[in-house]
Amino acid sequence: MTPSAVVRRWQIALIGLGVVGLLIALGQLIELVAPTRWVAIAAWLLGALVIHDGVLAIVVLGASVLVRRVKAPIPFAVIVIVQGAVVVTAIVTMLVLPAIVKQAVGSANPSVLPLDYVANLAIFTVGVAVVTALVVGGYLTVRMLRQKSPRTT
Amino acid sequence: MQRLLHQLRHTLIAPSRNPRAAVVLGRLLAIAFLLCFGTGLYSHFLQDPLPGMTFLTRPLWLYQVTQGIHITAGIACFPLIFGKLYAVFPELFQTPPVRSFAHLVERASIALFVAASLVQISIGLLNTYQFYSLFPFSFRHTHWVLSFVVVGSLAIHIGVKLPIISRYWTRKSAYESGELHATPNPDAILAVFDEHRRLTGQPMNAGVTGRIFEWIDREPAPVAPSPRVETSRRGFFATVAVAAAAVMTFTAGQSFRFFDGVNLFAPRKAGVGPQSLPVNRTAAAADVLTTAVSPDWRLTVTNGTTTKIYDYAQLLEMPQYDVVLPIACVEGWSQYAQWRGPRVKDLLNSVNAPDDATVRITSLQTNSMYGITTMQPEFVRDDLTLVALYLEGETLDLDHGYPARIIAPARPGVLQTKWLSELAVIS
Repeated sequence: MTPSAVVRRWQIALIGLGVVGLLIALGQLIELVAPTRWVAIAAWLLGALVIHDGVLAIVVLGASVLVRRVKAPIPFAVIVIVQGAVVVTAIVTMLVLPAIVKQAVGSANPSVLPLDYVANLAIFTVGVAVVTALVVGGYLTVRMLRQKSPRTT
Repeated sequence: MQRLLHQLRHTLIAPSRNPRAAVVLGRLLAIAFLLCFGTGLYSHFLQDPLPGMTFLTRPLWLYQVTQGIHITAGIACFPLIFGKLYAVFPELFQTPPVRSFAHLVERASIALFVAASLVQISIGLLNTYQFYSLFPFSFRHTHWVLSFVVVGSLAIHIGVKLPIISRYWTRKSAYESGELHATPNPDAILAVFDEHRRLTGQPMNAGVTGRIFEWIDREPAPVAPSPRVETSRRGFFATVAVAAAAVMTFTAGQSFRFFDGVNLFAPRKAGVGPQSLPVNRTAAAADVLTTAVSPDWRLTVTNGTTTKIYDYAQLLEMPQYDVVLPIACVEGWSQYAQWRGPRVKDLLNSVNAPDDATVRITSLQTNSMYGITTMQPEFVRDDLTLVALYLEGETLDLDHGYPARIIAPARPGVLQTKWLSELAVIS
């Protein structure tokens, strides 16, 4: 059998398996979830696409276009490192934010959401800033040393 | 519209938006999804076993670890899926949007896959915060149905993309062969005429959108062979890796004691709760504040027509055993504790229950789907399965199930029934 024929067989098997999965999902949906709830689930699915593709991705695109226009003489790698730090902080914040909101609304009992998430997020953000500064500092130092002692080979 | 899509694709060019990045992150994401699916199935069937299913009762930490992995891997999916969607974002603006029926089905399946994945991990996270008010549906049923949607559409997605996946599977095939950079990206060359220009002769920078894109393109993203491409690519992967490591490290402490010292963001903290143990459902929420402390409380044990009724003092008079077992919640948190009380099998022997008895366990709580549960023979007969009366040497706290609760090895916390009222042999 040629490699492409092997790939073709795997493709058919995987797609077949996937269709079985979707049929199980449909069967379980009909069996377990009242049709009155289907609209709510569909709204969540659609909402997820709109929030991700329509809002988050566009904001990221806008930010990256703006960053590209930075004219200051900042080394490209430094921009990339700082960008990464901002993204990491944003993702962690996105995950912790609902915990902060739920805690403010009130949790079921004191052992649910017992930590000071606002303070911990602040500590985390400061930590990211410190680590970023160290990495940037390290990068600039290495770059400076390399520029001072060019390779002789 | 075609121009807008064409321009957007051009604007979205970035060094890390290439098939190799999509394959690398897709692989990790698929592993995380399959870990979540496998551990999720295990947790589901422990609660709703199919006929003939039996489960392992050892190692003691089995469920603690599978469910800890379920939650921690689920949390790791956030940065992975964001990175993956970032890498393939230009695909959203394909032109023409639909080329054939097969292409329409493929795009629809990807839309379903992305939507189901995002909802699946989001409601999973919100459920660990017990933020039920945001769900206009049953979390458990929706999470269960969506797991098949996610895994099913994952299989279809891998099937459709298999030629690309195999071509970019190894670093060598993707980068060192130079194929990635040798393959011309039509979006990289803005001068390629789009449909609009071809048909109307209008310049690319005509109109409001044209001008906006012209402004954007004055500073285009780096393209090969610029050294910035490599820097940008490394930065992208490092960012996803650090984000995944951060979200896991700072939440895993609720499931894995090793990380307890850096538990900054988990919804549970080891040692926090009545008797230094977290609680999911309180006695007040279960509406047992009066029934559980009533002097009339009794534990009824039945096998067909044989019934024995125990009051609290009689339970204390039975042989008592000490076990150290974890409470391991479906929400991912877990904690070991020392429990003391009579063995379930001793109680069942008092009504001549057979060795392979399955037992229905009834709680005083009537407002929960876990008020009545079933215990499989392998757990019933286990020496470590107790009707616990003590926790860490003290009488059980009301929130931990006073006067008596079930504790068994390697089972989800929701099945460690609190405020016991009856054990009945059902087969």
